[in-house]
Amino acid sequence: MSAAAYEPEVRAGDSLLSVRDLVVEFGGKGRPTFRAVDGVSFDVGPGQTIGLVGESGCGKSVTSLAIMGLLPARGNKVAGSATFDGTDLLTLDQREMSDRRGRDIAMIFQDPLSSLNPVVPIGVQVAEVMQRHQGLKKAQAMQESRLLLDRVGIPDPARRLKEYPHQLSGGMRQRALIAMALACKPRLLIADEPTTALDVTIQAQILEVLRELVVDSGTALIMITHDLGVVAGLCDEVNVMYAGRIVESASRHEIFARPEHPYTHGLLGSIPRLDGTRAGALHAIPGSVADNIPWTGGCAFAPRCTNATAICREQSPALEADPTGIPDHLLRCHHPILPGTDSTHE
Amino acid sequence: MSEQTSILDKKRPDGSADILLDAQDVKVHFPIKRGVIFDRTVGYVYAVDGMTLQINRGETYGLVGESGCGKSTFGRALLRLEEPTAGTVAFDGTDLSSLKGETLRKQRRNMQMVFQDPLSSLDPRQTVEALLLEGMRAHGLTKDKTAAHARLRELLSAVGLPEAALKKYPHEFSGGQRQRIGIARALSVDPQLIVADEPVSALDVSVQAQVINLLEDVQEQFGLTYLVIAHDLAVVRHISDRVGVMYLGALVEEADADDLYAMPLHPYTRALMSAVPIPDPQVEDRRERIILAGDLPSPAAPPNGCRFHTRCPWRQETKCDTERPQLREVRIEGVPATHRVACHFAEEIQSGALQPHSVTPTIVDPDADRPRPDIVEDGAPGADPFPDARPPGV
Ligand SMILES: Nc1ncnc2c1ncn2[C@@H]1O[C@H](COP(=O)(O)OP(=O)(O)OP(=O)(O)O)[C@@H](O)[C@H]1O
Ligand SMILES: Nc1ncnc2c1ncn2[C@@H]1O[C@H](COP(=O)(O)OP(=O)(O)OP(=O)(O)O)[C@@H](O)[C@H]1O
Ligand code: SF4
Ligand code: SF4
Ligand SMILES: [Mg+2]
Ligand SMILES: [Mg+2]
Repeated sequence: MSAAAYEPEVRAGDSLLSVRDLVVEFGGKGRPTFRAVDGVSFDVGPGQTIGLVGESGCGKSVTSLAIMGLLPARGNKVAGSATFDGTDLLTLDQREMSDRRGRDIAMIFQDPLSSLNPVVPIGVQVAEVMQRHQGLKKAQAMQESRLLLDRVGIPDPARRLKEYPHQLSGGMRQRALIAMALACKPRLLIADEPTTALDVTIQAQILEVLRELVVDSGTALIMITHDLGVVAGLCDEVNVMYAGRIVESASRHEIFARPEHPYTHGLLGSIPRLDGTRAGALHAIPGSVADNIPWTGGCAFAPRCTNATAICREQSPALEADPTGIPDHLLRCHHPILPGTDSTHE
Repeated sequence: MSEQTSILDKKRPDGSADILLDAQDVKVHFPIKRGVIFDRTVGYVYAVDGMTLQINRGETYGLVGESGCGKSTFGRALLRLEEPTAGTVAFDGTDLSSLKGETLRKQRRNMQMVFQDPLSSLDPRQTVEALLLEGMRAHGLTKDKTAAHARLRELLSAVGLPEAALKKYPHEFSGGQRQRIGIARALSVDPQLIVADEPVSALDVSVQAQVINLLEDVQEQFGLTYLVIAHDLAVVRHISDRVGVMYLGALVEEADADDLYAMPLHPYTRALMSAVPIPDPQVEDRRERIILAGDLPSPAAPPNGCRFHTRCPWRQETKCDTERPQLREVRIEGVPATHRVACHFAEEIQSGALQPHSVTPTIVDPDADRPRPDIVEDGAPGADPFPDARPPGV
């Protein structure tokens, strides 16, 4: 039971991770090159939560895996930079990066089972991280591990400590994974769809844990999700991705109050809201994600966009400041939907 | 189109009642077997445990609830794809359990199902045309070739696919288009009732609206009755006339969609609704969230009394853990008789006479309903594309 009205403290300017022009290409012998991430830039600071939102295949996971150095060893090319505390993570070798991952940066995934070792009790898994990265003795690490499991809301942690991942429910496993991520006291946490596989009441529990983490420990959080509702309640800054590029970026209040990119605008108009009116049909976006065209041939969203004109199919739009002059609202569109010019949404 | 008629043209069996589907105290219990040589039944999964509901002709009834609460099993039991352990299901006044063989098969034509991913279970070597004709042939609807082909064209246009789609194979379509084919397939035998089990949950967000709109369009066009099963409350609320909320095998609340969302009365419904994220930061910041403690208990060991008592912030010592509350009307100003709730204390909770308290989570054994304690992953939607990726330090 808790009432959550919460306004996170944003310390503008002090960026912890700064991603610039990140490009990830997949390909190899005999296979055409595919640009999964195409010039993505964003910043996240201590105590700040930023969201990467977008639909299946838009490059959210690949972005985070590239930053974490977790892409498959072969068959891809990464360019750009990801500066964490003065070091470009993309230049680190495997060993240095794995050290960073244990110490400063952690990641949690949608499917916790695949990230947990099935034959080691969860308490031991958490303790091992602490032994390795904080140099704790075994008994002490187990003690700390119990406290951590308790902190992420695992009931009866003393007993749960000895259990194996398959003995836990999906929600408990996700908590165990968060506990493991926290065991190294990360300064940056990347959460890739951490609640997508969970029920909505369990999702609420996990989001609460993440909120507390950001507020209490000042951890920087990158939240990856396709759920605009989750973003609305959690993220300070929102980056909307489409076909490998960020198409709109703004503070959460700004982006939900004034979605100016036709895609963002369309998405918000197409999802039924629990508190909205029920009358009438939803404003569906035509076509599907698979209909996109390459950015080199114009705007990738053009085949589905109701605002598209000839220029959209010729010139790829750049990510630029909002034409009405709202600070920190970036758009990648030739014909954005500006306030007062539209009637389809709301 | 000679032998197909819209149900709107059909006469009701008796003028008065317009209940199309009547489920009374339906139970589906799955035996849990253990043992290497002899399969011993060591217990039961009480997947559906006393579901009573009526669906009126032409309406959309939405069934919501969390994973494992028995929604799909109930939907399958209605269509007799699952044999109920107890209870009765009457369709259009006929008790389905009284039907056998050919008559049951004939009746099945009236009740079709739309699945989460309709084509995943179908023969990938069949064209869309073959898939659609298959169902029609089974019910003798293809004898007149010209009529059958006219019907195919009508179906495709109803679901918004080009005629060229007929010659293609399932894998050549996107998720949204596949769901259109699934809907066309259900429509092909001219049913009266469609049970749609999570019809949009596998789809991309931007495509969900298309399919929701399509379901509404064809309902009007073909005069259909729907049971829509989903875990997404916002979707269910949008599409349904009436909504039933399920928890551990039974309804805890039922009301007209607008009434339910205006005034949820059951503590579980309140928690569920407060947990649904709303894409509006202003609303999110102001919202009162009821964060439930612990997990859904296993349907193999459902709690005594009120099934929700292990997690209920309003639980009372007097009878919550001993007496199972039945769905009942409430005496609350402004709440209509159609709004029913299975909670002993709905009135006192609503008036504020009872205040929520903190709950100590109980431990739930996720293996309780599984045959053997092997490592089994539950049905998570969408597998992680990088199963090898490990978190820090593993
Ligand atoms: N190892 C790989 N080899 C080739 N292509 C890949 C690889 N990993 C990802 N891709 C492709 O890169 C694109 C972006 O994938 P990514 O997993 O980042 O999407 P996502 O936004 O996380 O989507 P989802 O919401 O489905 O998780 C997809 O088209 C995907 O098929
Ligand atoms: N054939 C079966 N044998 C044994 N147990 C089963 C069987 N089918 C379902 N169950 C169990 O019955 C319970 C209810 O399952 P069901 O699939 O109806 O839930 P659901 O509400 O549809 O959940 P979801 O939202 O995950 O689809 C679950 O605990 C499930 O494991
Ligand atoms: S650039 Fe053109 S096609 Fe692309 S989103 Fe803007 S208006 Fe639409
Ligand atoms: S009957 Fe008791 S335990 Fe059940 S919902 Fe009502 S108050 Fe809670
Ligand atoms: Mg992903
Ligand atoms: Mg189901």
